[in-house]
Amino acid sequence: MADDAPTPSPPATPAGLVEHFFRHETGRLHGALVRLLGVHNLSLAEDVAQEAMLRAMRHWSMGGVPPNPSAWITRVAMNLAKDALRHQRMSGAKETDLVTHFEITAPTPAIAVENSQAIRDDALRLLFMCCHPSIAPDAQVVLALKILCGFSTAEIARAFLSSEAAIEKQLTRTKQRIADAGLGCEIPEGEDLAPRLDGVLGTLYLLFNEGYKASAGERLLREELCEEAVRLTSLLVSHPAGRTPRAHALLALMLLTASRFPSRLDAQGDLLRLDEQDRSKWDRALIERGLLQLGEAAQGNELSEYHLQAGIAAIHCTAPDAAATDWVRILRHYDELNRLKPSPVVALNRAVAVANVHGTQAALDAIAAIPDRARLESNYLLHAVLGELHWRARQHREAAASYRQALKLAQVGPEQLYLSRMLERSLQEKQQGPRAAAG
Amino acid sequence: MENPTTRAHYMLFFRNTGPENYQHLSPEQRQEVVTRWNDWFEGLLAQGKALEGQPLEMEARLVSGPGGSRVTDGPFIEGKEAIAGYVTLLVGGIDEAVEIARRHPGLAFGMKIEVRQMTPDCHLGVNTRARGRSTQEVSAG
Repeated sequence: MADDAPTPSPPATPAGLVEHFFRHETGRLHGALVRLLGVHNLSLAEDVAQEAMLRAMRHWSMGGVPPNPSAWITRVAMNLAKDALRHQRMSGAKETDLVTHFEITAPTPAIAVENSQAIRDDALRLLFMCCHPSIAPDAQVVLALKILCGFSTAEIARAFLSSEAAIEKQLTRTKQRIADAGLGCEIPEGEDLAPRLDGVLGTLYLLFNEGYKASAGERLLREELCEEAVRLTSLLVSHPAGRTPRAHALLALMLLTASRFPSRLDAQGDLLRLDEQDRSKWDRALIERGLLQLGEAAQGNELSEYHLQAGIAAIHCTAPDAAATDWVRILRHYDELNRLKPSPVVALNRAVAVANVHGTQAALDAIAAIPDRARLESNYLLHAVLGELHWRARQHREAAASYRQALKLAQVGPEQLYLSRMLERSLQEKQQGPRAAAG
Repeated sequence: MENPTTRAHYMLFFRNTGPENYQHLSPEQRQEVVTRWNDWFEGLLAQGKALEGQPLEMEARLVSGPGGSRVTDGPFIEGKEAIAGYVTLLVGGIDEAVEIARRHPGLAFGMKIEVRQMTPDCHLGVNTRARGRSTQEVSAG
């Protein structure tokens, strides 16, 4: 057999592959290959990683998975990169670097240990590149999913309800932009760091939200977007450059939110409201990790929007049941959030807290007073919240109208099911209630 | 289970398993193929129905002519026809061997499997040697 396979696998117990191995390995290879080949060879790095994956697939399908699959695949990739470089007839210096790296990393299985920090730093460099301010936020998320998380174009398209061709086109444009702008691939230092870090956090937040909003696409795939966001944010806070209070706060927010995933849907795939959820299904380990991160975030005197959102999530997660939820504190957090980062969506969420503290009419008034309310009109959430508030106020006709509007705006999936259920409830009440004659 | 004396050796040859079959798969799907493929093989090993299996490098030399006068770089009539790997089975008959082949997860991706009996009375003693190989040498890197 060629020198592709550094170690013969022991026959008795074939090694398994950890979950998402191929996906994450793709991202890891991109990091190592971009470091060696340079950002201008991003596409080459992708091709090399692809080829290495296909070879691994072929060998491991028929020959079993080697004991250190990561080392195996790195070795193959480095060989391929060396060949590709030779082919490109690039400068001698680059090639020497590569050969040196190859010789250092290839021979021993210790590579995995020796490199864990290098792997992290490679990934973070790529993360900062993907989140460069010269790339549009949406494009940053897509690029990060492709390069850093090893998602296929088809998977990204499914997650974003887009077509493969559209995603492909966007990726090509983004890479062209990176090439044109001559973007580097390094972790920023000094005064550059803070603003760039903010950009990275914003993108990770976007990635998480993309997975969190249950509005469309395949549920499982979308939860994996959240998993990736958590993975990358964890990686970030493990590096001195990323270990800031707001990064910890963002990670806390993600973990605490993700802890409730197991209870978001009922057995029929129907969306459940927070007060309907079976809290025993919440992931205690994630809550613990989240609270720990929130503690880390409290070091120093910084208070970011992530702190406040994580704080709200923590109040929900630590309430023994829905009735015991400390809505007064939640409302205080929303007030603060509205001052720090005012937006119609924050105001809408605040109105839900208002309803629980001051009653439904106060909440309806608060919604009526949202300054930028027009921007919410096309958001199904506004109408879903209005439907709920009208229902609580026993205004069943208005509730039905709002739910109908929400249903029109909600995209496929559990949300529609949920809204139909709510609409039905309002309609039944409408018929039974005193207003039935009027309807 | 059949009496061992009624069992015979079969070889499954895997063809058309080139990268073009898997190029379009996502990393997750690829991982699934690898896992299912290995499960198929491990299951057979555990039942004593598979003896060994191995991938073959695609690089090849074709030797021909009297005295091996012609050595060429594996010119297959068609790349897809090249044998990419094999598995040796010890089963009750060709029907069972075919049944086993039919459960192969690679078929969904265009792979073709040729099923051939290893004849026991071969003058080269292929069968004897195949049987003599311990499973220790079997699994390929």
